[in-house]
Amino acid sequence: MADEKKKKAISRPKAMYPLRARIDEVYQNSIKAVQAGKPTGWCMVNWWEADPIIMAMGIEAVYPENYGAVCAAKGVAQKYLERSDSEGFPSHMCGYARNTIGYTARMNDLGRIPEEAPMGGMPKPLFLLGSGALCDTRFKWFQALGRYLDVPMWTVEMPQPGVREEMMPGAHDRNIKFMVKELRGFIGFLERLFGKKLDWAKLEEISNDIIEMNRIWHETNELRKARPSPMHSRDFWTCMTGCLYPAGDLKVLIKLYNDLYIELKERVDKKIGAIENEKYRMTFAELPPWHSLNIFDTLAERGWNFVVESWAYHPPKPIDLSKVSDPLERIARFTYQWLSGYYQNAMKAKEWWGFFAYPYMDFVKDYQCDGALLHPLITCRTATNHLYLIQDRLMQTMKVPSMIAEGDIVDLKLFDAVDVLRRAETFEESMDHYKEIRRKEGFEW
Amino acid sequence: MTEKTKKGLARVEEIYEDRSKRAIELKEQGKKIIGYLCIYPVIEMLTALDMVPFRIFGDIKEPITKADACLPTVVCPFLRSSLDLGLKGRYNFLEGTVMSHACEVCEKTAHIWKTYIEQKYTFFIDVPHTVHEAAQEHLKGLLEDFRKTLEAFTGKDLSNDKLTKAIKLHNEQRKLVREIYELRKPNPPLISGVETIKLIKSLMSVPVEEGNDILKDVLAELKNRKNAPQKKSIRLLLWGSIIDDASLIEIIENADANLVMDDTCVGTRPYFDDVKLTADPLEGLAYHYLVDIKCPRTFRESEYGETSKNYMKDLSSRFSYLSDYARDWKVDGIILHSLRFCDIHGYEVPAIRDFLDSKGIKSIYLEPDYTESALGPLRTRIEAFIETLG
Ligand code: SF4
Ligand code: SF4
Repeated sequence: MADEKKKKAISRPKAMYPLRARIDEVYQNSIKAVQAGKPTGWCMVNWWEADPIIMAMGIEAVYPENYGAVCAAKGVAQKYLERSDSEGFPSHMCGYARNTIGYTARMNDLGRIPEEAPMGGMPKPLFLLGSGALCDTRFKWFQALGRYLDVPMWTVEMPQPGVREEMMPGAHDRNIKFMVKELRGFIGFLERLFGKKLDWAKLEEISNDIIEMNRIWHETNELRKARPSPMHSRDFWTCMTGCLYPAGDLKVLIKLYNDLYIELKERVDKKIGAIENEKYRMTFAELPPWHSLNIFDTLAERGWNFVVESWAYHPPKPIDLSKVSDPLERIARFTYQWLSGYYQNAMKAKEWWGFFAYPYMDFVKDYQCDGALLHPLITCRTATNHLYLIQDRLMQTMKVPSMIAEGDIVDLKLFDAVDVLRRAETFEESMDHYKEIRRKEGFEW
Repeated sequence: MTEKTKKGLARVEEIYEDRSKRAIELKEQGKKIIGYLCIYPVIEMLTALDMVPFRIFGDIKEPITKADACLPTVVCPFLRSSLDLGLKGRYNFLEGTVMSHACEVCEKTAHIWKTYIEQKYTFFIDVPHTVHEAAQEHLKGLLEDFRKTLEAFTGKDLSNDKLTKAIKLHNEQRKLVREIYELRKPNPPLISGVETIKLIKSLMSVPVEEGNDILKDVLAELKNRKNAPQKKSIRLLLWGSIIDDASLIEIIENADANLVMDDTCVGTRPYFDDVKLTADPLEGLAYHYLVDIKCPRTFRESEYGETSKNYMKDLSSRFSYLSDYARDWKVDGIILHSLRFCDIHGYEVPAIRDFLDSKGIKSIYLEPDYTESALGPLRTRIEAFIETLG
């Protein structure tokens, strides 16, 4: 009974279900294809920089970062973490990396996929794709796998300039040029490795579909600025995977995202919110506590609507790419927009950490948030580095308070849901207090 | 003018004990002192405009109190300490800073520094991760922007001539430092590990010409020195993430070992290759900072775009310089050191150990947390390691 009640606290859009079912189906198909021997690469999440090329080459991408989450959820991560430690890797490193290292070391010993590996395991790849985006782990971890896998590795570059530096004349285009050159190098690498040419027409179609899918997803999230907000973060997290890990027939996904957009638009028109009584509009950073998601239901009962979240999972702000004829340049511009799309505003606001940190300032302003729930992760520095800065900047510039709740990506017990709920009450007082201050100081919300 | 009164190692000691004193004197004389974090900011460009590059370090003796509010405890404690000092005003004499994407947290620290610490000038160099030609060209472009901001800040032209002259001065420093390291080859070495780190740290606190004078004095002193370090039974090399305090090295040298070589960034890394003199000096600088400097923050393949990989070949392309050092400096064992929470060096450790094992070189791995109190317990491990080498 209690469970039923909790489920009702957040009204989930109907269109979310077929979209999620499709995402799951595509994922299952990918696992089957990999197990049937389809050429496979282990890839870092790369924000569409390399994905369209990999898809157009007919290669299946496997994401060990996600597999780390799967192993943690199924309770087998501990075994792999310990194996990584015994191999001599420091135990303070990224939990997902240690999981993969332990898994791969074990697969190497056995000469086959370990029997305990959930979801059929990750078969040996033909190449590794690292990424320079966001954290050092994303290329150091794969390089370290060289101990167990004699397979080549490529690292895609993604510039991460300072705000002022990005605004210097010519800097943006230079970054794009650099990415394009490196993508050409990557294509050459794949063509030599697989002994076949890239189908450029296919690349064009795939990348256009990815751009369109993300545009719709962006517009969908824009609808959440409405009061009351029509979709809760839980549904964002449920649906984001289709855009973040493009796979399968993208046209089907586009249609399903569009259905979601239409449903939310209707909700906005009819002033239907994701929760019944929207009292507090919230933002959440960064990775959600996957195993305690029901706290959001309990918080929803208290009137907390999470209206925006997880910057790194958000689609790029749309830009006009219609005049860009080179598909690689289009990919580079699109992908780089994900990271640099907030810089103009950051420059105006004289805030110097243009991605990761600044986007939350726009989020809080545009979505009129009353508070932020920040989730530092013990073994992911990247998702943690900026949280204190955010806490301070939101308070200093917008008088919006933040609550910090620690957790982890592999040690799932670390997140103390009971404690969060206990503190929620006091935090509401703080949100009420600052709402009043904002009102007095003439803020819009 | 204390700098005139003491010479050689005595002068080094003086600067090491109070790094900012000379910088403040120079500031009073009208010089612009620019701080830089890690070794990737291209300091030749500061020298070329008559500014003083001053390397920002942390302080293992100072508890971190202020940085907790803006950098979490799960990141590099050296960077947290550096930021902490900045927030406490220890670097207030700096006119500005140049920071870089040396590693992820270094990059993030740059933004936080800029947010909280007032400066007249800042620049951030987003150093690429790969060494490909496109990456070199990209870095050169970033340096062109760096040049523009420096020109705007100083109101002076940064001509190629000035830059070439500065590169020559820094190359001279590199050559003199290498000469110092040559004096670590004899047994016993003519300069200890503790003296070396103090020397390097001093060089990173004064203008390049002054540093070169110090080096010349130290070289002359060493060649005639009567009080050379004692000969110990074991010769060691130290590899790893930043060590900016002599305490750990003191522990090593108080045991039965001479520290005769290093691969660290307050040691050989910035000095062991010269910047090539190219028609466009930025080209030589981009190549040097991206390709020559062997810090694991940069991703390297044994061959560009290789489609087959062999682990041993990969190791030897990445680490053979270390076995060369071990051979030339007649090293008995290697201490691998990665600060807690340093991903860049941490991921590298098992691979380096595989490589060293394949060459029959023994190693030990230490992971201190950048506090003085954490060093004590390492003493026993270091001593035990030295015993196994005996
Ligand atoms: S450190 Fe964080 S962002 Fe980086 S790979 Fe690990 S989980 Fe992902
Ligand atoms: S010690 Fe490691 S994490 Fe710290 S600044 Fe150096 S490379 Fe970066």
